[in-house]
This record gives sequence, structure tokens and C-alpha cells, in this order.
Amino acid sequence: MTANKILIVDDEEIIVRLLSMSLRSDGYETVTAGNGEEALKVLEAESPDIVVTDIKMPVMDGLELLKRIKKIDAEKEVIIVTGHGDIDSTITALQYGASDFINKPVRDEALAIALDRAKAKIHIREQLEGYTKNLEVKVAEATEEIRRSANFQRLLIHSSNDAIVAFDNEWKIVVYNPEARRIFDVPAGEVLNKMRIDDLYPSQVAESFKDRAAENPKAHDLPWEEMMLNLKEGKNIPVRFAASVLHENGEFMGIVNFFQDLTEIKRLEKELVQSERLAAVGQTVSGLAHYVKNILIGLKGGSYVVDVGMKKNNTEKLKTGWETIKKNISRVSDLTQDLLTYSKEREPEFEPCSPNEILQDVVTLVRDTAKAQGIEVEATIDPDLGAVIADPRTMHRSLLNLVNNAMDACLDDEDVSKDFLIRVSSYTEPGDILCLEVEDNGCGMDENTLSMLFDPMFSSKGGKGTGLGLLVTGKLVEEHKGRIDTKSELGKGTRFTIRLPFETIARVDERAAKEDKQ
Amino acid sequence: MSKKVLVVDDDPDVRSFVVTVLEENGYIPLVAHDGVEGLEKIQADQPDLVILDVLMPRGSGIRLYRHLKTDEALKDLPVIMFTGIALRSFLKSQKALEEFNGEVPKPDIYLEKPVEPEELVRAIETKIG
Repeated sequence: MTANKILIVDDEEIIVRLLSMSLRSDGYETVTAGNGEEALKVLEAESPDIVVTDIKMPVMDGLELLKRIKKIDAEKEVIIVTGHGDIDSTITALQYGASDFINKPVRDEALAIALDRAKAKIHIREQLEGYTKNLEVKVAEATEEIRRSANFQRLLIHSSNDAIVAFDNEWKIVVYNPEARRIFDVPAGEVLNKMRIDDLYPSQVAESFKDRAAENPKAHDLPWEEMMLNLKEGKNIPVRFAASVLHENGEFMGIVNFFQDLTEIKRLEKELVQSERLAAVGQTVSGLAHYVKNILIGLKGGSYVVDVGMKKNNTEKLKTGWETIKKNISRVSDLTQDLLTYSKEREPEFEPCSPNEILQDVVTLVRDTAKAQGIEVEATIDPDLGAVIADPRTMHRSLLNLVNNAMDACLDDEDVSKDFLIRVSSYTEPGDILCLEVEDNGCGMDENTLSMLFDPMFSSKGGKGTGLGLLVTGKLVEEHKGRIDTKSELGKGTRFTIRLPFETIARVDERAAKEDKQ
Repeated sequence: MSKKVLVVDDDPDVRSFVVTVLEENGYIPLVAHDGVEGLEKIQADQPDLVILDVLMPRGSGIRLYRHLKTDEALKDLPVIMFTGIALRSFLKSQKALEEFNGEVPKPDIYLEKPVEPEELVRAIETKIG
């Protein structure tokens, strides 16, 4: 404890001396004064921690001294020594802010207790002062920290590679960083605190956010999703986006959206797919050479037969040879078509068409050939499936390919006792998925063959296949955002199911009408 | 008497070509679409020579070849292998099969498609004149 300098004020010198001696022996430092006026001088010179003063003194009494001291330093501890029955002075002293009272004659113990109390008060005050001072520093530090972190966050939002757009609870835009400005192409000045979600986002995106926030006000983060951002002036930007729903004390505060522009990634992905595809075409060349050789065999044989027919004037030979040549010409043209289809980017050409009609066309096309080889082809169509908006060429080519494969699978089956059957069917699945299925009861495939089915240079047909058929089918279906599922059992048969998303004409019309209205 | 030559091939183009070559050169052509039918024709019509494709549905080319070469009554029937696959691949596949089924004599004549008609005729002539 630091408070150990004590000023003793009394006009009776003997008392001053006695008290002084006693306090010194307790370890205090003492200074003395004979009246109030003297005491004020000593106070100024020595600045004692505690003052012990008598009341009745000449020149300036204790009460006046107390008043003056408190004026100079309101916190100074002043202990008043009072006589018996001096109630009025005591009350005045209390009013002036005396710390404590001890009775005359002053006993050491009473003084010691009063001093301890005063010292404790000083100590607490010192501590409090420290705390207060600390608090001020802490507040200053915290303020600076907040300012810094707010600045940091502002910079972070500003320089983020993600576009960040945040809305308050009334869907007003309150954060809109430069990347967001780049993507949405609207100056920040027109957006911030001016636009609402519907003004910036395409309506279906805005609605979906509002719906989601309304549906589940407690919702937090929406996971990353990919979508095509359709902006004004026909600008389409592929983005990946996520949302965080902001709450404070359970109250909905707003939403913050993060967008990543995928244009470049999509372009690179496309490039990669393209170069992989070209590499695949390269790999297929050896398989192709084989296939081309087979065509050449046909063409050479055919032209020889035609030569003989002409020489001998044999119409039968001419016809046979010419048929052979024509057939092989069409094989070359199919091959070229396949190669072009496979090596080039192609967008599906959506138009109204009837999957059932396409299915029937394909079945009619192959039925006679199949029958000649002892294979039945059966069409099972979904009568409720009307016209759809899809790419008819994708459907036709894929189905024809699968049916041809099915025929080969039947021909390749060692079990000749089977009644070979290829069933081609159409049906729909929930979520507007059109299913086209080709099922055969031919030789089936083992796991190994199944796993290589869509590999570029793979053909299970020796020189009779290009290895391109399923590759092309797979690509067409993929470009149509569909998929192919395969199920096969060795010796039992195979089932290929093409699943394509489709639109109906009625729905497209309805939407067009709705857009017109807007 | 004209000699009978059996063509076993699943490819109608090849059949019509070989048949025409045979007719043009004074042979009597017989045809079979696969190995199973081929064996029936061999037993029924007793051809003097067989022109046999290797890759046919149900593996029947390879099977018929092995049958012909391991059957006491038929092993002297001349066979011309007539195929789109290279001799090296054919021998390799035979070797793999031999590990399980015992050795089979190499083909008398192995012709890789496509061939000129004269080449085919020469091959037939070396066997049956």
C-alpha cells in the first residue's frame, strides 16, 4: 500500500508529537501542522496521502481546513478528531466530506483502524482509476480494431474475386462489389441502396430467393449451385453461386449472395472436352483403319462382280455387284457422318417432334433386315406421349445405333435355340424425362465389356465395328443433357435406356405467352 | 469334272465376290453363312476346298477351322483362311487357344482381305489345280 505519508494537524503540540511518534513506529511517514493555515502549506509542499485533523484550532479550524482540502482535492482522505458531544461539528464535517471520525483522546487502535479504512479507500480508488484509464485505452483500441476490421472487410468485399451482393430485410441492395458490377454490368451508383432484388436479378432468380427465404425463415446457407444467369440484352453468364441468409437474434436481416463467373472455366472445360475428343478420334484410327479396310473389301469385291456382269452381260451379277458397291458407299457416308458428329461441337436442334413416330421409323427401317436374320423387332410405345420439343436427330440416330447393336448382340449369341427379340419402347418418367429403351435377349456383355462400352477405340465386333457407334450416341445424348443407362447380363441380353429431358409444346407456348404479357 | 469350293463367310459382299471369282474360273461355288452351316455343307456336299472366314458370329470361323484340322476324316480337306485380320493376330489367337486345347496345324493358306481375284485363284490352284 502506497498511502503512508500522514499529515497530523493539532494546536496542542504534545498531542501532535505523541501521535507522530506512534505512527512512525507503525511505519508511517509523518508531517505536522499546528493549525489549518499551516496545514494547507504543508499539504501543498508534502502532499500527504491522509490528513488527521483536530477541529478546534486557532487561525483556521479543522472544518475550514476540511472544506479547503476538499476544494483542492475532493478525493483526499481527511480523518476528523472530535471531542465528546460535538455533534454539530461532526455533522458539518460529514457534509464537507470527511472520511472518518475518531474520538478524543485519540487511542492508537482507533487511529490505526481509521487509517486502515482510509488506506483501503485510497487503494480502491487507485485501482478504479487504473481500471478507468485501462477502459479508455481498451475502448480506444477496440474502436481502432473495429475500424480496421471494418476497413479490412470492406477491402475484402471490394477486392473479392467473387461477386458479392447483399440485401437487407426489405431486399434492398446494400453490398455490391466491383466483381458484381462486372458481372451484372450496372454501375454501383445505380444499384447501392437504390435497386431491389427484382431490379438486378432475372425475375425467376429473384423470386426463387424470396420464396426460399419465405419458406424457411430460419434457413442459413444455401449450398453452391450452378446456373445460367440470363441478363438483359441477351447476355448469358454461367455462374456458380451460394447464399447466406443473415439473422440477428432470430430476426431475418437479409441475404448475401456470392457469384463466381464460370465463363472462363466453362470455356476451358469445353476446350478440354474438345481436345480429349480429338485425341479419342486419334485413338480410334486403328480401329477405323480396320473398318475402312472392310469397306474397301466390299467395294473391290463389288466392282469385280460388276466387271464380270458387264463382260458376261449378266444382269444378276450387275445387280449384286452394284448393291454391294452402294451398300459400302453408304457405310463410308455413315462413317464420315459419325466422325463429323463425334469430332465437332454440336448443339442439339430443338424442334417439335414425336418420339413415338421416330421410334416407329427406326423399327420399320431395321425390321426386314432383322427378320432375315431371324430376329423379331417389336415396338412398345407410350400412347400418351405426344409431341415434345427435343432434337429428333439425336433420338433417331441414337435409337438406330442401339437397335443395330442389339441385332449384332443377337447374331453373336451362341445359343441359337433362342427366339431373338428386340423390344424398342418409349415411356416417360416424372420430371419430364423421356425414356427410349432398346432391349435385346442376345449374347449380353460381361463386366469388362460393359465398363469399356463408351471408350473411344473399343469395339466388341472385330473389324465390323468402328468403335464409334456408342461414342456418338453417348455424345449426342450428353449434348441433349440426357444420359444412357445400361443393364446387361452375359447370355441373357442387354438393355439400353436413353433418358432425355424434354419440353412439351403446350408448356413452351404458355411460357412464351407469359413473357409476352410481361 | 469341275471341283466344288465352299465359301464360309457371314459377309454377303465377300460371298458374292468369291462366288463370282469361282464361277469365272470354272469352279462350282457352294456357300455357307457361318461355321455351323459350313460343317453341314462339308458333310453333305463334300467340297474339294473350303474358303473360310475367321471372324464370324458365335466364333464359328475359329471353331470350324479347329474342327476341320482335328477331325480324322476331314483333316486333309484343304482350307484357305480368308480374313480381314492379320495372320500374326490369327496365329496369336490360335496359340492362346492351343494352350488349352492342344496344338492345331497351321493353316495351309492364309489370305488377308482384300485380295485380287487372281491371287485368290492362284491360291485355290496350288491346292486343287
